[in-house]
Amino acid sequence: MKLRLILLIAVLGVAFSSCNDLELEPKGILGEPELFGTKDGVQKYFIQLYAGLPIEDFIYYANSAGGYKPGNSNAWQAYKNSQAHMSGEIFGWNVAMNGAGFGYWPYDNIRIVNLFINNFPNYKNKYDEPTYNALLGEARFLRAFFYEGLAKRYGGVPLVTTVQDPINGTPEELNVKRNTEYDTWKFIYDDLQFAIANMSATSVEGRANKYTAAALMSRAMLYAGRVAKYTQYLGLGSDAAVQAGLAGIDPSKANEFFQYAFDAGKIVEEGPYSLYTKNYPDKATNFANLFLDKSSTENIFTKGYDGQVFGHCYDALMCPNPDFSSFVGAEGGPVLEIMKLYDFPAITDNDGKPIRFSKRSDIKTGMEPRLQGTCFFDGDELRGKTFSIQRGIYKTFTGLASDAQSGSNAAPINATSNRLLGTKGQKYNNVLIAGAHGMFTTGVENNAMTGAFVRKYIDVNRPTSMVQVNKSNQSWIVFRLGEIYLNTAEAAYELGNRDVAMDYIEKIRVRAGCQVTRPAVDQTVSSTNGYPVEASLQFIRDERVRELYLENHYWWDLKTWRIADQVLNNRYAHALSCYYVFNEGKYIFLDEVNRENRSITAPKSAAYEKIPQGEINKNTNLLPQNPLY
Amino acid sequence: MKNILYLIFGVSLLLSASCQKIDNWDEPGSRLYGNIIDSYTGQNLAMDNNDWQIRIWDKTWEEKHPGTVAQYQSLAVMKDGVYNNAKLFPGTYNMLPYDGPFWPVDTVKNVVLGNEAQQDFTVTPYLQILNFKATLNGTNLTLSCTVKAPITANLPNLYEVKGFLSLTTFCGNSNYINIGDYNNLRKQINKSWAAEVGAADSKDYTLGPYPVKSGYTYYVRIGANVNALSRRYNYSEIVKVVVP
Repeated sequence: MKLRLILLIAVLGVAFSSCNDLELEPKGILGEPELFGTKDGVQKYFIQLYAGLPIEDFIYYANSAGGYKPGNSNAWQAYKNSQAHMSGEIFGWNVAMNGAGFGYWPYDNIRIVNLFINNFPNYKNKYDEPTYNALLGEARFLRAFFYEGLAKRYGGVPLVTTVQDPINGTPEELNVKRNTEYDTWKFIYDDLQFAIANMSATSVEGRANKYTAAALMSRAMLYAGRVAKYTQYLGLGSDAAVQAGLAGIDPSKANEFFQYAFDAGKIVEEGPYSLYTKNYPDKATNFANLFLDKSSTENIFTKGYDGQVFGHCYDALMCPNPDFSSFVGAEGGPVLEIMKLYDFPAITDNDGKPIRFSKRSDIKTGMEPRLQGTCFFDGDELRGKTFSIQRGIYKTFTGLASDAQSGSNAAPINATSNRLLGTKGQKYNNVLIAGAHGMFTTGVENNAMTGAFVRKYIDVNRPTSMVQVNKSNQSWIVFRLGEIYLNTAEAAYELGNRDVAMDYIEKIRVRAGCQVTRPAVDQTVSSTNGYPVEASLQFIRDERVRELYLENHYWWDLKTWRIADQVLNNRYAHALSCYYVFNEGKYIFLDEVNRENRSITAPKSAAYEKIPQGEINKNTNLLPQNPLY
Repeated sequence: MKNILYLIFGVSLLLSASCQKIDNWDEPGSRLYGNIIDSYTGQNLAMDNNDWQIRIWDKTWEEKHPGTVAQYQSLAVMKDGVYNNAKLFPGTYNMLPYDGPFWPVDTVKNVVLGNEAQQDFTVTPYLQILNFKATLNGTNLTLSCTVKAPITANLPNLYEVKGFLSLTTFCGNSNYINIGDYNNLRKQINKSWAAEVGAADSKDYTLGPYPVKSGYTYYVRIGANVNALSRRYNYSEIVKVVVP
């Protein structure tokens, strides 16, 4: 009995011990005072936002299964879903065109920024004035970046600047309407203007400073200027979203945005950046190293990878296995129509006959160094091996290049009795029919489908055994001075300052090693893509394609120039096909349609992506939907 | 043993519980149909199967659910310019033929659908494809036509003139032999009417020769489009070509 009593008392004692009020601050949780009240806390808070920024880098999926994938373990498939494939920059793996996008809708991240912007003033007394302003400016930069990711897709979007309360908010407050496209770009302008005025001039790698904000301004305002000037030519005028100003901007506003872009470029030039020339005089190697040298003076903002916790598979998916990659291997190669935009050697003579070469690698004689720094051709060395690329053998080749009818099997000269094509290792009279790395008649992976491989961003110092899944550690260059020069040049030209534009183009072309570094201004107007463009403006646009090839600009450029549906209209990728002419012992190069006879077409609707249906179901104020959806 | 029997009985009872047919909605059974009429000919518009659609909005749904906005449904239009959908809920609909190869039309509001309703639309095509001829010379097929634009004021750029070859009676942009050898024979223009044609309201085009195969029957037509919305085609009639 006594024992029971003691037990009862003991149990009651234990039970009531929990009746203390729990009022101690938990020590393991970082709340707002810890995060917003110290510089380190703010850095920690911003990390999640930097990781989610809309940067189309090595691990970006462009198609419907897509998105920005921070830390995603499936990133190894990125080059089976890449924007470069989708928009026809490279050919190989078939990535279906998807103009409607994948439903990008980063209002979760925008809320995180807004929370900071709204509550950070409560902690103003913990900082000195410049630090406080710099951090607030950085937040505005981050918010602008998310809105830029939205605006380049959807045009006008809801501009949310408050932290919404989902429980007590009224439907009117929560169901925010879309703003016009003009207001959306102006909102980005305002955020960046604040960021440039307040951020510090220096920052650690991977974090933004005022010049980063100016670089984003330069790019975003150029997009806005193009949208304003050229949307009218899309023929969408009868659409409800266009009439409401949600998709498209009045053309009279174009110069306003081009001027912003031009001014922003000037601010970037005040920074400590210069075009990368460390490896002169070899301009090809110099251009290739620009993308590998983490200390490059040209980098304004990079997204880093360490190859351990965060790695990517660019090397493993761009170099053919097994000689250069220990993973699945090359998924695509550069297309001939883009190679031909550079200084490219003639492959036919004046009569139209294929020129005879004694070595396959002689094709590089007279080729623009920048192109050699961008692509690997036959004879180039990598990781101790040499690229060997050949399409096949002609027993004899008399006549013109056009007799081969772009590689069609129907051409008499291409009869199987005269033209030999083969798989890996197949021989004819002890001569290999195809090269060791293509172009084979079967297979897409590890096959030089277009007669070349990609060199830009390929880490040449990485041994083949280390070219593996998620092991690559090159930084993605988000902004570099080269792009800013091109932005400024285009904006200047659009504003009528043609000579100023050419000053910038000249700088780019000198570094590229082009034969003509400063072409004369040519104001001849042509309408190849459906609206009048001066020849020199077209040249500046082409310069962008050449310089920024494979840096995931092409698709956004085509979109904002409003010509994606015109340029990618049943476009067949072409290949640089090298043949050995057996009876002559010489090599010829032919311009052939890709082996699979595959073309890509961008729908007209690709000018704007579709507002995600799931969001419209939640908030019908997002209507009207973008044109053609 | 007995347990197993009980088990089987119990499980089958559970499974068959879902076999009841109770639904609080009648199945949709109303029929909405009609023609798309070419204002120039008075006949149905020449088109291909499901080239473009008619958008309909169920206004009754909005009335029953205040605060919602009905999403459009798309009704397919057949190649003879007829549409017919017999699986709709009765109610009031707004209707708009959208993104077709004709000058934009206004939404027809409040079409009342009981059991059945007919709603025809008269549209004004951007272009007319006249005098279509298919000439066979051995195994080479040449197509020719006259492209006419009855209204040239504010006409978007004339975009292209394209021959469509098909092995079935379905022929047009949704059903054709989609190979480079044929596609490359189209005339890509993309110029304003004044720049391409001038003051006249029509111009002749000849396409080809298309290499065709002996022993096959082809159905062919020409389509032309202007740079408006998704650039749908205006077509000629379909001609049957038997290659001996």
